[in-house]
Amino acid sequence: MVAGPSGGGKSTLLRVFNGLVPHFHGGRIGGSAEVMGLNVIATPTRKMARHVGFVFQDPELQTVYNVVDREVAFGVENAGVPRRQISGRVEEALHAAGVAALVGRAVRTLSGGERQRVALASALAMRPSLVVLDEPTSQLDPDGAQMVLAAATNLVDEGRSVIISEHRLENLLRRAGGLFLVDRGIVNACDPSAWSPPAAPVRPARSAALGAEAWSLQRVSAGFDGRLVLDGVDLSGRSGEVVALTGPNGGGKTTLLRVIAGSLAPLFGSVWRRRGRVAYLPQNPTVLLHQPTVRAEVSFTLDRSGEAEPPGTILEELGLLPVADRYPRDLSCGERQRAALAAVLPGVPALVLLDEPTRGIDSSARDALVALVARLRDRGASVVLATHDDDLRNALADRVINVRDGKVSEMALAAST
Amino acid sequence: MNARAVAAWSACCLFVNLSTTNPVYKVMVLAAAVSVLAAGARLRRIRALLVAVLFIGTFAALLNFVSAHLGATVLFALPAQIPALGGPYTLEAMVFGAVGGITIAAAILSAAPFSLLLDSHEVMDALPAPLSRTGVAIAASLNLVPAVATSFIQVTDAQRLRGWKPRGPRSWMEVVVPVVLTSVEGSIQLAESMEARGFGSGARTTMAAHALRGSDWLVVAASGVALTAFAVAHATGWAADWFPYPTLTLPTIHPVPIAACLLLLTPVLVWRLRR
Repeated sequence: MVAGPSGGGKSTLLRVFNGLVPHFHGGRIGGSAEVMGLNVIATPTRKMARHVGFVFQDPELQTVYNVVDREVAFGVENAGVPRRQISGRVEEALHAAGVAALVGRAVRTLSGGERQRVALASALAMRPSLVVLDEPTSQLDPDGAQMVLAAATNLVDEGRSVIISEHRLENLLRRAGGLFLVDRGIVNACDPSAWSPPAAPVRPARSAALGAEAWSLQRVSAGFDGRLVLDGVDLSGRSGEVVALTGPNGGGKTTLLRVIAGSLAPLFGSVWRRRGRVAYLPQNPTVLLHQPTVRAEVSFTLDRSGEAEPPGTILEELGLLPVADRYPRDLSCGERQRAALAAVLPGVPALVLLDEPTRGIDSSARDALVALVARLRDRGASVVLATHDDDLRNALADRVINVRDGKVSEMALAAST
Repeated sequence: MNARAVAAWSACCLFVNLSTTNPVYKVMVLAAAVSVLAAGARLRRIRALLVAVLFIGTFAALLNFVSAHLGATVLFALPAQIPALGGPYTLEAMVFGAVGGITIAAAILSAAPFSLLLDSHEVMDALPAPLSRTGVAIAASLNLVPAVATSFIQVTDAQRLRGWKPRGPRSWMEVVVPVVLTSVEGSIQLAESMEARGFGSGARTTMAAHALRGSDWLVVAASGVALTAFAVAHATGWAADWFPYPTLTLPTIHPVPIAACLLLLTPVLVWRLRR
C-alpha cells in the first residue's frame, strides 16, 4: 500500500512502476528502477505493459472503445495476441474483476464502480504479474469502492502482486504486505500493523442557531436527454444548516445540486432560493480552474462578488499558501480539489453547494474543509453537500437525505453511516 | 451489418446521387437512404437528423431561388434596384434549387448509417490493417466527444455561479479556455491509459471477426451491380442528365437506372428477412 498527503508524490511513484515516469511524462530521473526483472528506465512503457497493469483514478478517462469486451481486449490486441485467444483472455479478465456479466454492455451505461472494474479487467487481460491501482476508489460510492477493493484483494489471493494508493486505508490494511508513506518526495516503509488511521474530524460546535428557510423545492422533477433523473422532489434547507446528500452513483445527487443552484431548470415543480451568492463546487472541480495562479482564482470570485476579503484568508485556511502562486492545473489531484474549493468558497456566500468536496484529498485537508464549512454555516450560509464520505457527513450534517433513483428520503443521522 | 457492407452501399448511393443531374434518380436515392435508416434505427434516433437535413435542403433550394434570376417562366419580380434580391424569380430556378437541396439531403443521409447504425469501433475494425492504429486513435477521440460536451455544461454552470455573464465574444474566453484545457488534459490522460496498455508496441491483432456474412455479401453484391449498371446507363445515355434552363422540362427515365436505384433498397430487405 502507498499512502501520504496530497501532492506528496504518490502518483509519480506509482508511474515509475510501468515507466510512465519518465517515458510518458518526461522530466529527469536518477538512480535505477527494476520491475519484474526489467530496467524501467531503459524499457518503454508499451513494453512494460505486458508485465505491469495500471488502473487510473478516473474511470471515464481511460476508455478507448465503447463496448465492454472490446475495451477489455484493447491491451491484448496491442500485444498482438492471436485472435482465437483474445476472447478467452477477455472472459478470464472480466471474471477475475468480477464483471463477467457486463459482456456486450455499452461502457456509457455502466456505473462508476462497474467502469472502474472494467478498467481493472482491461489491465488483467494482459496477464500482468504486477497490478498498480492509483486511488481507484476516489470517485466511487461505497458499494462501487467495495467492489473494486474486493476485486483487488482477490488478485492477491491468486498470487499476483498489487500496489494500491489510497487515502482510506482502513479496509485494506488487514491484507497489506507493506505500507509506504510518501511525503514531499520521500518514501518511508512502515509496518502496516502499527499504523493507526487518522482520527475522524471532530464535529465543530455550532455558534449560531438555524435561521429562516434559504431554499426549497416543491414537487420538482428534472432530467435531461429524455431521461427523468429527479422525480417529484420536495425538499428545503435553512440558513445555517448543513444538509448532506447521500446515495449511489447515478442516483440524482448532482442533478439535485444543479437544480438548487439554478443551473438546471426543473421540468415540473418550483424552486425558490433566497437572494445572495451561490458557491457551487462541481463534481469535476478542475473545470473551474483557468487563472494563472491559485491566488488569482480566489481573487476572480471575490472581484465578481464585490467582497473585500483578502484572498490569503481562505488560502491559509485550506493550507494552500505554499502553492498560492502556482498554476492550478500543475498541482496534484488533491491540491487541485482544494484550489477549486478556495475558488468558490471565499467571502460570504448565501448558499454553498459542494459536489464530492473530499474527492482525492487527505485527512488534514478534510479537517480544514470541515472547519471552513462550519465557519460559513455559522455566518448564515445554507450548505448542501453531496458526499460518500462518512466522516465528513458525521462532522457536518444536520440532516442526511438519501437520493436514490430520483427520489429523496430523510435518514436518521446514525443510520446514514 | 458489417461496416464494409455499409461502406459499399454508401459509396453506391453517393455515386448515383452525384453522377447524375436527373432528379428522379436523386429522389430514389433519397428515398432508399431514408428507408434504410428507418429500418436500421429507431425513428427517435433519426428524427433530429431528418429535421436538420430538411432545413439544409430547404435553405439550399431557397438560396438558388433568390439568387439565380434565370429561366423563362417568371413567377414574380422584384425591382432591379434592390441589391442581390432584385430581378425576376423563376419556376426554373425554384425547381433547380429544390433538386440541389435533394442532392445535399441524399448525400448526407447516404453517409449517415456510419454514425447512426454502426458503433465507432465497428467502423474502425473495418479499416485495412495498415490503418488500424489510426482507427484506434480516431475511436478513442470519438469517445472524448461526450466528455467535452459535459465539460462545457459544467464550466458554464460553474462560471455563471462565480459571476460570469455572456457579454460579447471576449467574455466567452472564461468558458472556452477551461473547456479546452479540460479537453486537452482528458486527451493526455487517455493517451497515458493507452500507453499503459501497450498501444504502439507492435503489430496489432483484433478481437473482431471481419468476415462478411451472407446478408452482408448480398448488400455488397447489390451495391456493386447497382453502381455498375448506373455507370453503364450513364455512359450509354440511358440515364440521361436533366437541366431546367432555359425552360422547364420533365426528366426522362429508363428501366436500367431505375432498377439500379431499386437495388439500393437491399439493406431494408436484409433487415426484414433477419427479423
